[in-house]
Amino acid sequence: MSTFEQLSHAVVAGKSKDAKALTQQALTEGAQPGAVVDQALVPAMAIVGDRFRDNQIFVPEMLMSARAMKESLAILEPKLLAAGVQPKYTAVIGSVQGDLHDIGKNLVAIMWKGANFRVVDLGVNVSPAKFVAAIQQHKPQVVGLSTLLTTTMPAMVETVRVIRASGCPPVKIMVGGAPVTQQFANEIGADGYSADASAAVEVALKLIGA
Amino acid sequence: MARSTYLALAAQRHRIPIGVDLVLRCHADHEAILLDGDRLGRVIAEAAAEFQTPLAFPLMDLKLEKTTLLSFFDVPAAESDSFHFTEAPSAEAVARFESALPSSAPSPRIAANLDALRYIATQTTLLPVGMSIGPFSLATKLLADPITPVFMAGDGATAADEPEVGLLETALRLALATVQHAIQQQLDAGARAIFIAEPAANKVFFSPKQIAAGSNVFDRFALAPNRAIAAQLAARDVDLLFHCCGELVDAMLDGFCSLRPALLSLGSSRRLWEDAARVPKDIVLYGNLPSKQFYSDSVMPLEKVGAQAGELLARMRQVGHPFILGTECDTLHVDGCDDAIRAKVAHLLRIPDPSA
Repeated sequence: MSTFEQLSHAVVAGKSKDAKALTQQALTEGAQPGAVVDQALVPAMAIVGDRFRDNQIFVPEMLMSARAMKESLAILEPKLLAAGVQPKYTAVIGSVQGDLHDIGKNLVAIMWKGANFRVVDLGVNVSPAKFVAAIQQHKPQVVGLSTLLTTTMPAMVETVRVIRASGCPPVKIMVGGAPVTQQFANEIGADGYSADASAAVEVALKLIGA
Repeated sequence: MARSTYLALAAQRHRIPIGVDLVLRCHADHEAILLDGDRLGRVIAEAAAEFQTPLAFPLMDLKLEKTTLLSFFDVPAAESDSFHFTEAPSAEAVARFESALPSSAPSPRIAANLDALRYIATQTTLLPVGMSIGPFSLATKLLADPITPVFMAGDGATAADEPEVGLLETALRLALATVQHAIQQQLDAGARAIFIAEPAANKVFFSPKQIAAGSNVFDRFALAPNRAIAAQLAARDVDLLFHCCGELVDAMLDGFCSLRPALLSLGSSRRLWEDAARVPKDIVLYGNLPSKQFYSDSVMPLEKVGAQAGELLARMRQVGHPFILGTECDTLHVDGCDDAIRAKVAHLLRIPDPSA
């Protein structure tokens, strides 16, 4: 089994220490950092997403895989930066104003990162103005709005409205969270909805035509 | 204990939303009422009257206990919602907390809640119900990432192996002490039942794969602390009403039943008529209309509420399990959507019982 395959396996299995060691090994063997991302990490997180979608694994396993991926990326990112290698896409994400929950938002951020997105995570309780400022600064292809609470759904409506009215660079708006549905997404003028973090990758890639 | 109260209500085909917040928000000065125990008690009684129930459910505010806990660690109330421990408090800090907690004065919000309970207990014939977040759910709010240490502990990691597991264990210890203190205060104020909301005891936080493989992690972190609470309530002859609106696997449901609640409230992801086969007949099942979607007339129109309630009533009647029709969680005010929400709450109270 090649080092890339072993690294991929380690990430899928959520073995952080192995992922770190194998990343280092791959670099020592002369692999380019971008190749490690494209040929080991991205395929690994795709497998994680598929298994999550198929109920073979659950949120805790997905988080452990993400943790392993982060260990690997922590080694790779400085080298990627130095080599001027950028992720293919950019996304901005946050939980809308009034909502302090972040598990769903973090999962989507992880899966997007694993699909070669640069993810600007604005955190929780994010005002519409902060979303607009981030879109203007980072010019993402996708912005993700998350909410867990029914009580903060009006904030999601308002955030979509403010982004649309702001004259921001064109951006696809995705929404998600426990009380959110495709119907709600359509009604508030969002471009996309996903029920879980795995589907969020597919929807985002489809929206940006990747 | 008055387990028979809930069985009798189920036999009478009782139904009740959890929805005091909706009634509170009808009052222009609702923020002031939250700090005035007598007025809050009157609002709770007003809600019980509107919902035609003898059960005086209080407001469900699951942030209060975290604020109490963190006040002992010098975290200002305004910052408690977003605060997370980055490392486990020292043994000395934990000891100071445990020594100071029993004699600490309640916060103004909690003091008002306790006065409201006293009002219900002394000024009405309603059954006073107390409320607290469950210890595991409170512990999860103390960590930025609670899921990873739960998983690592489920894989056999100890505090010595992984500091995050140690942090989780300490957080749970602090959380249990805080919840038991909150319960004690409510029992002393006259609560005859305590509603424990443990929404995080679900398959987002606990891996169904680990549980299926025989890990005791769910028992250790979710059930054991609640067994301590069940014992605390049993010692005072007070009923446990247990709530979890998260997504579950059957083993989790079995665990909840092992706590012997008088009433078990589950989220709308569960098919209660199927769950009935796993739940002892002296535990009343409660729920579980999807009230988190009541805000939207397109996603959840009135007719759909009626249809779902009708099906639920019919199926529960068919399986013959004691059942009270209600909501999957607290039904909260949503700005601009109150008419839609209240119409559906009123509708669930009126829906004809299929067997009536």
